[in-house]
Amino acid sequence: MRHRIWSAGLAVGLFCAAGSLWAHHSTSAEFDVTKRFTLTGTLTKVDWVNPHIVIYMSAKGGGAASSSEEWRFETNPPAWFKRVGVNRSDFAKGIGQSVTVEGNRAKDESNYGYLLKITFADGNSLELVSGTPAEGH
Amino acid sequence: MKNAFLGIVIALSASAQQQNLARTADGHPDLSGVWLYSIDLPPAAIKRQSAAGTEIKGVDSSGRRPATKPVAGALPFTDAPSYKPEFQAKVKDLFDHESKTDQVFYCGRPGVPRIGSPRKIVQLPKEMIFFYEDISGDAYRIIPTDGRPHRADANPSYYGDSVGHWEGDKLVVDVTNFVDETWFGEGGYFHTDAMHVTERFWRDGANLVYQVTVADPKVLTAPWTEPPRVIKPSIEPLEESPKCVESDASKLINNDHHSQR
Repeated sequence: MRHRIWSAGLAVGLFCAAGSLWAHHSTSAEFDVTKRFTLTGTLTKVDWVNPHIVIYMSAKGGGAASSSEEWRFETNPPAWFKRVGVNRSDFAKGIGQSVTVEGNRAKDESNYGYLLKITFADGNSLELVSGTPAEGH
Repeated sequence: MKNAFLGIVIALSASAQQQNLARTADGHPDLSGVWLYSIDLPPAAIKRQSAAGTEIKGVDSSGRRPATKPVAGALPFTDAPSYKPEFQAKVKDLFDHESKTDQVFYCGRPGVPRIGSPRKIVQLPKEMIFFYEDISGDAYRIIPTDGRPHRADANPSYYGDSVGHWEGDKLVVDVTNFVDETWFGEGGYFHTDAMHVTERFWRDGANLVYQVTVADPKVLTAPWTEPPRVIKPSIEPLEESPKCVESDASKLINNDHHSQR
């Protein structure tokens, strides 16, 4: 069974934009922003920490059917999620359930990525998209 | 002629605005309140899809940016500090390696003035209390405004030792006694223990204006006055910042970086 679908290019523009003002390290220094991949597994933990929140997933790998891999995905900071109206509970409600994550994988090829989209078992999703902040000055 | 007329209209309008400012019992403008979160955040928006439909929401980082329109009462400013020639290579090197050299990246305290404007101001007759929400932890400052001098017994710190006074309708906060491990701005703007920061706060209608001047005669050719920032009022209550756990450093494969603040 194929659990990972790799696709190229889709996330490049968004990801560069997402990292351009906030992150000290370029996202491209750590993640392969040319490839957006999809992983389905069980959400096991949500760390609501600075400077990036981190979610943990247990996903079936491509090898033996019974084996599973532990993955972690970081994404934007807690203060950012707060300002766009997303709380820890919006992620944590999916703990123990199957979720599908789209993101960019770490260049060191560890089971680590930057989360760009998460879709929960009920079909609801949260996705980072390019946005123009409403600013008055 | 038309411009001169416009200028008079703007000046009269600004003057009327200042007269209508909310003031405390001692006659000073009231700076109290909760103000927009002013730490830089990613510009991306969230797209939330649910049974209720699709919603896209971005963030307002205006309080972190230089004002884009002229601000009444602002001091003349420049975009960058002027370092003495012998320190310019160091500044460039720090910035080029910012992902390794900037302590803010490693959950370090930004210090004054890099932390920016406070999230909440409590204005009392003899002191101002500033509250901050920051990635490194939630700082506070207590700033006497009763004419007392700087403390002589305080240890050097990230947020320094502050005393304030009023110059007309501006609150002027004088800050000294810093540790020398922070930067006063992105771009590798290091400083020494001689750094002396002057913060100015004033009201522009419903908004708060924040402008900073940094002096450090050991490394700068002249004090640097930054562009003013206009901070909108906020109704969002303060919330404890989650702990900071930096975990990216070991995964960085090069020095590529962008600025934060």
